[in-house]
Amino acid sequence: MLKHDRFQCDSVISTKDLGEELARISLDLAKRENATYAELRLVNTRTEDVSVVNENPASEEASTIGVGIRVLYKDLGWGFADTDELEHDNIRGTTKKALALARGASKLGIKVTRASEPVHVDKWESPVKKDPFRVPTETKYELLQDTTKRMKEKDIVARRGQMNFAIIEKYFANSEGSKIFQVLSYAGVSAIVAAKGPTGVQRRSIQQSTGGGYELIDEMDLPAQALEITKDALALTRAPTIQEGKSDIILSGDQVALQVHESCGHPIELDRVLGYEANFAGRSFLQPDQLGKLQYGSEHVNIVMDATLDHGNGLGTFGYDDEGVKAQRKYAVKNGKFVGYLMSRETAPRVGETRSNGCMRAEYYKLPIIRMTNVSLEPGTWDYDEMIEDTRDGYLMVTNYGWSIDQKRYNFQFNTEKGYRIKNGSIGEMVRGPTYAGITPEFWNSCDAIANKKSWVLWGTPNCGKGQPGQTMITGHGASPSRFRNIRVFGAS
Amino acid sequence: MSQKMEHQPVSLREKAHQIFSTAKSVAGKAEAEIILVSRVDEYLRFGNNELAQSQYSTSRNLSVRVASEKKQGRVTTGTLDKASIEKSVEKAISQARNSPEDPDYLPMPGPQKYSPVDRYSEKTVEAPAELKASYIGSAMDLAKKNHLLASGVLGTSVEHVMMLNTSGLEASYRGSGGYFSLTMDADNGNQTGFALSTFGDIGELDPNRVSQTALERARLNKSQAEIAPGKFDVVVDPYAWSEMLLFFAVSASTGYSPDLGMRQYKEGRSYLSGRLGEKILGDNISIDDDVYHPSQAGPPFDGEGCQKSKVSLIENGVFRNLASSRISQRRYGAVATGHELPLPNPLGELPTNLVIRGRGTTKTSEELIGELDKGLLITRFWYVRETEPKTKIVTGMTRDGTFLVENGEIKRPVKNLRFNQSLLELFSKVDAVSEPVRNFSEFRQFRILQPGILARDFNFTSVSPF
Repeated sequence: MLKHDRFQCDSVISTKDLGEELARISLDLAKRENATYAELRLVNTRTEDVSVVNENPASEEASTIGVGIRVLYKDLGWGFADTDELEHDNIRGTTKKALALARGASKLGIKVTRASEPVHVDKWESPVKKDPFRVPTETKYELLQDTTKRMKEKDIVARRGQMNFAIIEKYFANSEGSKIFQVLSYAGVSAIVAAKGPTGVQRRSIQQSTGGGYELIDEMDLPAQALEITKDALALTRAPTIQEGKSDIILSGDQVALQVHESCGHPIELDRVLGYEANFAGRSFLQPDQLGKLQYGSEHVNIVMDATLDHGNGLGTFGYDDEGVKAQRKYAVKNGKFVGYLMSRETAPRVGETRSNGCMRAEYYKLPIIRMTNVSLEPGTWDYDEMIEDTRDGYLMVTNYGWSIDQKRYNFQFNTEKGYRIKNGSIGEMVRGPTYAGITPEFWNSCDAIANKKSWVLWGTPNCGKGQPGQTMITGHGASPSRFRNIRVFGAS
Repeated sequence: MSQKMEHQPVSLREKAHQIFSTAKSVAGKAEAEIILVSRVDEYLRFGNNELAQSQYSTSRNLSVRVASEKKQGRVTTGTLDKASIEKSVEKAISQARNSPEDPDYLPMPGPQKYSPVDRYSEKTVEAPAELKASYIGSAMDLAKKNHLLASGVLGTSVEHVMMLNTSGLEASYRGSGGYFSLTMDADNGNQTGFALSTFGDIGELDPNRVSQTALERARLNKSQAEIAPGKFDVVVDPYAWSEMLLFFAVSASTGYSPDLGMRQYKEGRSYLSGRLGEKILGDNISIDDDVYHPSQAGPPFDGEGCQKSKVSLIENGVFRNLASSRISQRRYGAVATGHELPLPNPLGELPTNLVIRGRGTTKTSEELIGELDKGLLITRFWYVRETEPKTKIVTGMTRDGTFLVENGEIKRPVKNLRFNQSLLELFSKVDAVSEPVRNFSEFRQFRILQPGILARDFNFTSVSPF
């Protein structure tokens, strides 16, 4: 039986000790079988999900532990196998399965060159102020019931509150000598209310996911926000839609975060640029010959890829990625110019880089692929209120409802939950389902104002899909409200 | 390698009974339910004419539900030694104790009778990786000969589920299946073709046909013309739908919760609440939930072990019935149809095996194209999301081959288009359909059989630069 190193210790062997033991077995075997490179991840995960929908409660606690083993054979073929049966014989068997797949792949592969990475022997732990697994389930339910009760009004048809927590202990070792133990903690919270009226069902929601623990739930104070979003949802059932046309728009920070995710985060993934995602996630309009040349956005636009804790405790914050590369901070877009990709050790040399910037991430039972870390729009210089005051005629659009973008990340359309007309520097009438659409580089080049640090929040996207079979990853995106000029707008209906 | 060794159903059954015995003894007087799922997956993934990501995955997952005094708790674990199982049950007891009473709590159902489904293919289970690699190798060779890059995945899965509860219920299911998804492209995806095939028995897979279809479309889809957006008559290939038709059954307006269940309908959460008996689609379109359809997949029982019934949700365009459960039977006097999710489930019932079908004689895709005077052939939709729930307006893109058709013949490729289209309107303007096929979806819980269609006035709103 395993013990969690930090939480609720009640057993005899730690994830780290077990990881070391299993890595010795697997990496020795891979070496004897002439693997050029091998790595093992032991991942011990504990999660809790608590929700209330209308009057109905539901909760689930889950724990998984397993090993993912990746090997490279003759520098020509990769193989990956995983198991949740951790007996020594089974670890040997799983290593052999990975080797067999790697040998097979080597017959249809091409020479793999990997960027070098220093050997790391280290421990890293994400900060947690309030351990969520020590907060009683009863307390969590009380807060969610309080939230959903406050939403109870005539014409409200759905009331939903939810929180989820995860602690992940991860041991990584590779054949180059790296031995890394990490403890990563995450929390998420959301509330959704839906009202039915003359315009159909209208939704308002709040959602945030970050690194850390129950302190997020305290900070978000769902019951306090429940009344406001309920009032909004009811008002939206009677609000007008907007006329199709061109307009200046100001997007709320959470909407900018999703815009960064979809129109910058994905096209800078180097695996899709090189064609390895062509069948599913797609390719990218950001080609290597445009590095350092393409004016991706206006001079105000600076986008970083930052997995370090200095950036904040986000869903893309860690000490090391899942191939043992240390967390780094790099620019993807600097003063509007496209300057960098999210990379792996294998892909970095393909664009002339000598080191990966550490973006390989996956659950233990999935092959690591390039994923976003924290891909964030740096704050600008505008005070948010001054940005509104400076806008003569436009719309403020708040919180995403739906999002869609083509496979190269060019043509996008986002609709938001609510909006307001801005007239002569003042926020006016509420509008329902305001939608904006555009072409990525044209859109970011139209950005002329970004709110300052006071309005900047590191948002979380807990459900980014990519890969085959499908993988879900958590990613972070810092953003503040931003203004875009002369954008195509229309109503969702 | 074969996926056989890890899947001996007898041993899993024995394992499930051992686990259940432990769970019962720890649960004491409380009710207990276990769901044990064992999976083996093998995926050979390739890109740029390289076999780049091969993976073999085994997992066993135990989910324990404990209920006492109308309170419930659920704990899931992948660790199946006796001590871990005991700990999981203790956690579930503690969780139940600390949960509020569930107003919909019902005692666990007793023994059930199940109509058998035959979803386990020895051929699929025993297919060696070398065979699958040879299919991929042939696709890559064909791509190379034609100066194209092949990318995609050939995956197979084997699943075995055992469910037991303290009221005497025992349910088991085993199934296998897979899919071959292939893109051939060039010029950074400016020239591209796509093909897909899903199967239960790998013997049904015709890998050459998949390769030839992707090649043929990639050859045709070169130097695309730009066309002005607007309304076009369309032929939609049956494998083109992606996640699009999922939005018949799920709404973003309530947080991606299901729509076609009795509880959400009665509570007013469904976009169809209050519309039973109304004509919402064309006369020639029906939608069933039918786990027993020969092309369907998955177990014939729901999340609490009750047998699934076939439900005619929409009959000849008229919204007739809803998926239901024991909870809706008690709440509303409905006939339970076996569409509960694992409990506790605050979202409502979910039909997981939709079959969308047309009336009358079905046609082949070639025949549908032949009947199109002027319009577009869509071979793949992409990134579809709901924008308006009332009429189910969805937006998304076309990709990997959109073709202008005139007088029943493909004339030339056009650039990808964005659409904003009501699903209810689209399926009210369908002139002809093909046989429904199982389209692979990343949403694993849903298995939808979707037809190709010839339809009028599809609303395209903008064009992509490629």
